[in-house]
Amino acid sequence: MSQFPTIYSITESEIDLNDLLTKITLTSTGAAAIFTGMVRGITSRGDAHETEYLEYESYVPMAEAKMKQVADEIREKWPVVEGIAIVQRVGKLYPKTPTVLIACTAAHRDTGVFDAARYGIDRLKEIVPVWKKEVGPNGEEWIEGDYIPKPGE
Amino acid sequence: MNRIKLLFFAAIRDRAGAKSIEMDIPSDMTILQLKEKLGADYPNLKESMKSVLVAVNREYAFDEAVVPSNAEIALFPPVSGGQ
Repeated sequence: MSQFPTIYSITESEIDLNDLLTKITLTSTGAAAIFTGMVRGITSRGDAHETEYLEYESYVPMAEAKMKQVADEIREKWPVVEGIAIVQRVGKLYPKTPTVLIACTAAHRDTGVFDAARYGIDRLKEIVPVWKKEVGPNGEEWIEGDYIPKPGE
Repeated sequence: MNRIKLLFFAAIRDRAGAKSIEMDIPSDMTILQLKEKLGADYPNLKESMKSVLVAVNREYAFDEAVVPSNAEIALFPPVSGGQ
């Protein structure tokens, strides 16, 4: 269904939800599931700590190619999904600032569109080359994931 | 010999002290051998080579693969998690 809009980008600019939503809303669209992640200033779960800011970086050309792959996987699993937007902001980002957004639209909300957005953010965190360095009162530390991509991913 | 360009990201770049380097490698060198060479040439990277991810021309690549000529090789830690 290549006529459906797919947006994927790494950006240093503010993520504009309204603009993205407009771009992935068709006349046949009746539902959008949106996930956005933001910088958390105070973490209480697990290793409780405070965060001054996060510094995000990316291997941009590969990251955008892998975002497109995530979108392709979503379309394969949920053919009902109409528009897809996947945006990762990079740079120095302070608490409360949105850092990532994934939105999927569909005709109705009972089509799997929530699951599609959930899959998108989970997959992004597995295969899209983006890293963050956390800076807080006790110094700085790179946050690393633990997922090892398999051949073909 | 093959000329390759290596890109380093995140913690790997900090430890290497460079964003990118170019090097000549034997034309039959595998990804695993390349990681071993980097660990030997850059002692700061030795520990990182155990968990490093490698991309060849922007696709994930694995130990047994031979490094192609004129390739853009990227080395980086597992991508950022977080729940």
